[in-house]
Amino acid sequence: MNDRAENTLLVLPGLALLALAFFVPITQMLILSVSGDDGPTLAHFTRFLGDPYYLGVLWRTVRLSILITVICAAIGFPLAYIMARVGPRLRLWLIVLVILPLMTSVVVRTFGWMVLLSRSGLIPEMLRDMGLVGRNFAIMQTETAIVIGMVQVLLPFMTLSILGIVTRIDPRLEEAARTMGCSFLQSLRTVVLPLAVPGIIAGSLLVFTLSASSFVTPNLLGGSRIQVLAASIYRSVTQTLDWPFAAAQAVILFVGILLILVPYARLAGGRSNG
Amino acid sequence: MVKSISTPLRLATMVFVVFTAIFLLAPLVVVVGVSVSESQFIAFPPSGFSLRWYEEVLGSDAYVGAAWISLRVAILVTLTATFVGGAAAIALHRRKLPFSGALATFFLSPLVLPTIIYAIGMLMLWSAIFGPVSIVTLWLSHTVITIPYVVRTTLAVLSESDPFLEEAAQTMGASRLQRLWLVVVPQCRPGLIAGAFFAFNISFDEAVLALFLRKPGLTTLPVQIYGQLEFSPDPSVAAVSTIMIALTITLILVIDRLLGVQKFASA
Repeated sequence: MNDRAENTLLVLPGLALLALAFFVPITQMLILSVSGDDGPTLAHFTRFLGDPYYLGVLWRTVRLSILITVICAAIGFPLAYIMARVGPRLRLWLIVLVILPLMTSVVVRTFGWMVLLSRSGLIPEMLRDMGLVGRNFAIMQTETAIVIGMVQVLLPFMTLSILGIVTRIDPRLEEAARTMGCSFLQSLRTVVLPLAVPGIIAGSLLVFTLSASSFVTPNLLGGSRIQVLAASIYRSVTQTLDWPFAAAQAVILFVGILLILVPYARLAGGRSNG
Repeated sequence: MVKSISTPLRLATMVFVVFTAIFLLAPLVVVVGVSVSESQFIAFPPSGFSLRWYEEVLGSDAYVGAAWISLRVAILVTLTATFVGGAAAIALHRRKLPFSGALATFFLSPLVLPTIIYAIGMLMLWSAIFGPVSIVTLWLSHTVITIPYVVRTTLAVLSESDPFLEEAAQTMGASRLQRLWLVVVPQCRPGLIAGAFFAFNISFDEAVLALFLRKPGLTTLPVQIYGQLEFSPDPSVAAVSTIMIALTITLILVIDRLLGVQKFASA
């Protein structure tokens, strides 16, 4: 046996598994998305794109995902920076703080939010007691609930993506900036933030993709009236049993994600190089 | 440098960290709180203290059955993904195969595709060829989505390992199998362990594939919880959820013992 044979043998089981159990199913789905009763058709796509209801679902998905990504970046960047600069003991606690929710099932975390946000839950009660909202105020079954739940679910991904980059930034760069007369916030804005851009981009790509394609949290917190695209796909598969239409929606979801992410990665990547 | 940060800013930082911590942990704390409530209804803060919901869960066929399925799938997935992914990572690391760059991308590709899209494809393909889904469907699809994690953690460990160790073993007359088993695999160990933990955790907690690939009698724990939440949640859901949180904490403690949590987080 030579080296080539050994390496091929090592890689083969994984190659075969991914080819048969990953790429073939996806191909099958692509084929199904354009198949009709009499030969290939684009009917499932035109049905989606010609229906104001589904266009509304698509627009809500994009809008909420962008909002969730922006909020995650706004919290994740300072959090990652703090994690990178505190002492080792505190850093360990902060890492556990981020990892514990990350490793807990999304279903369990969403349940926690259902309890907190429900009509008689802690958060609406507190807001009512403080007189900030009226007696009929509700958060559950609104887009706000979806955003709150999703940010909690996805913040760890953003934080860890940024942390990976920020820990590699030499603190002496900031010290130099401070010595030259920058205030702390100035050094953060002009030194750390530009260097952290690759981490923020990687985190945003991840968070946007995950948030656009999730349905567990939106379904449970938003209810059936506020549908997002992934929830609509799930409904087509399990309730209306319209699989070709589900496949077409999945294709639209993926193309939509690519259409938004590719220019974003280009734009942001180009800026950080220039 | 830290000294020169003004007091208001330090205060703001502390407030920020505390609020973020509350935000991240609140749903978990609430679930644990509800699970020990005496009341029939889900309420937080809980009223009274009782473990009756845990009794209910442990005596419920639905929950115990689902937990058993989740555990079986997760163990199968962990073993397969670690073995298959680890072997692939070793070969990929040597970069001696043609198209190694493309191969590495291939192995990480399940990370990029949203799980829901893969879940539909798997359901459709399986139904077209084999008919109803089974525990094998779940096993295969969870293995597919966890392989990238094992590949990534193992590659990360290998990139810091001594490349000449294997050569030295060869010079000393070790056979191919001996080199692989006695030199390379021990070098990979931290990566394999981290990958195995990822695989177990992801498979055990995963809900998307499990929701698409379910049928009566093939319900994992997260799917069982999801069904309860959609239908009629009572504090027993909180008790199951608390058990799952406890499992996660145990997992983190074990990882910290074996590898250190910081290393794990950067994987």
